Amino acid sequence: MFKKYFVFIALPTMAISAGLAPLAHATVAPHKIISLSPSATEDLFAIGAGTQVIAVDQLSNFPSSAPASKLDAFSPNVEAIAAYKPDLVILNSGATKAESVRSALKKLRIKVYFETAPLDMTGAYKEITELGSLTGKGPQAQTLIRSMKSAVKKAIETGRKKSPISIYHELDDTLYSVTSETFIGRVYRDFNLVNVADAAAKADSYGYPQLTPEYVVQSNPSIIYLSDAQYGTNLASVTARPGWSSLKAVTSNHVVALPEDIPSRWGPRLVDFYQFVSKSIAGIN
Amino acid sequence: MKKTSAGIGQIWNWKITASCALILLAIGTLAISLGPIHLGFFDILKTLIGAHGLEGQDRTVLLDLRLPRALLAALVGAALATSGAVYQTVFRNPLADPYLLGAASGAGLGATIAITNSGGNIYGWLPIFSFVGATLAVMTSFFISGRFFAEPNTLLLSGIAVGSFATAVQTYLQQRHSNALRPVYNWILGELTVANWSIVSWSSIYILSSILVLVTVSKKLDGLLLSDEESFSLGIDPNRLRMIAVAAATLATATAVSASGLIGFVGIVVPHLVRGVTHRVTNRSLATIALVGASFLVLADLGARTILSPAELPIGVITAFVGAPFFLFVLRTRRVSHQ
Repeated sequence: MFKKYFVFIALPTMAISAGLAPLAHATVAPHKIISLSPSATEDLFAIGAGTQVIAVDQLSNFPSSAPASKLDAFSPNVEAIAAYKPDLVILNSGATKAESVRSALKKLRIKVYFETAPLDMTGAYKEITELGSLTGKGPQAQTLIRSMKSAVKKAIETGRKKSPISIYHELDDTLYSVTSETFIGRVYRDFNLVNVADAAAKADSYGYPQLTPEYVVQSNPSIIYLSDAQYGTNLASVTARPGWSSLKAVTSNHVVALPEDIPSRWGPRLVDFYQFVSKSIAGIN
Repeated sequence: MKKTSAGIGQIWNWKITASCALILLAIGTLAISLGPIHLGFFDILKTLIGAHGLEGQDRTVLLDLRLPRALLAALVGAALATSGAVYQTVFRNPLADPYLLGAASGAGLGATIAITNSGGNIYGWLPIFSFVGATLAVMTSFFISGRFFAEPNTLLLSGIAVGSFATAVQTYLQQRHSNALRPVYNWILGELTVANWSIVSWSSIYILSSILVLVTVSKKLDGLLLSDEESFSLGIDPNRLRMIAVAAATLATATAVSASGLIGFVGIVVPHLVRGVTHRVTNRSLATIALVGASFLVLADLGARTILSPAELPIGVITAFVGAPFFLFVLRTRRVSHQ
């Protein structure tokens, strides 16, 4: 059971980047960076600081030129990190004993950028800004943010619905979902999509409630987004669920498999996610 | 199996205990010598005896990362093995383990409460909450089962009930606060990853004093293996002794759990291992069991941080993966030697 939770709560949390404790500006830009955050890895390469990165954790699979290592972002091994002799480590606050890891690294005189999961785009931009100023790529970071902002704006303008459409975002086949208060939920809201999980917002303080099958059937969403598509859930398996075959989303064939990684990485590829959602709702009224 | 009519005092051989202490020392030295960063063996020894040895980052790696971690592994291993042996005696049940009376689920609930309510600094509160949770759960089991348990089985059953209740509350809280899932999951796996001196120092106080109490009463503990009437006739008050034993074992377990999460199997495998290898059932072996437990966990932790290096492997995986087959082997050879 835990494993399942782990995948959909932990991965986004870990993969996410942003809202961090600002560090003092370095006089010399760090050139031996270790990134233990897939989102931060994407940020660093997008602002042109990729050459300053000496190792990334094993989940940092984008861009492909990132120097992959066996370092683990969930359970960071301080000594293994120190063996690389880094001058900056990007550590996610969701990692195991993150606080202790941070203080152990500080004892070893290694600078740490401590990132926590962002709640919205502002948080994601903030991380890019901070990584930019830390790595001496401030102007490049601003350029990236400007282009992201305009691309996101364009995607919203193209796709945004005049009248609201109801959606259901599925995390796994036990019907865990996301509310509009989560980062991913905010993206849907930007397109004037009404999230059926919002009715259960009070059930979980973090915005990931588990819905009852009856409620999903009753709420009859027009679109179903499957983030568990990578685990084999698809239109056929959704249709086979009792009562689901008559859902609007199913009869109109609007069951959408979400791409892996992109919706859970709050870096430059967020633009791709906005464009994906925009495309997925084109022509639906 | 050798049968002897000698008194209980002569059955246990101090030489075995002393050699186990030496083995622990050797394993400990090995453990702090190995890791992703190469440190010279003689430099390590020099640093340890205070001579001019490692410097800078290497010194920090040895003194602030490896040494406290090995010490904490030893403390936790000793605590779990000793408590396991004592619980097995008290409940006259070879399957009893340190988590039997709800200590594990109580600690789990405490940890979950700490994680869901702390907002920021989870790890400052986590050990305290899990310690309190474990102690409260065991105390509740005690009171539910009536006047300091006339019957060990009643206590055992109430321990199971309290444990299930605590687990239910924990699951409810997790469902309401999904951000707690990952930290709780991690904690349940049992981790020694970032031990530091403050954890080592407070846990050593509780664990060492509990073990001291248990070793002191160990001679009398054998009386609990008999029926209550028989132990009375030996001049032992079984209820009082059981209470002391359970209290000390619980203190040690709660401390171990709050310092390192749930590490399974040590409390069962180590006592049986020592008894199997030495063919002795007596609790006079408690000190040896503590030392073997310490060695076992230091070794397991060495595996945890080197096998998948640079990633970590949860230590519970190793204790069961290595411990279970070894344990079966001991059971088998013991059986053969009985025939």
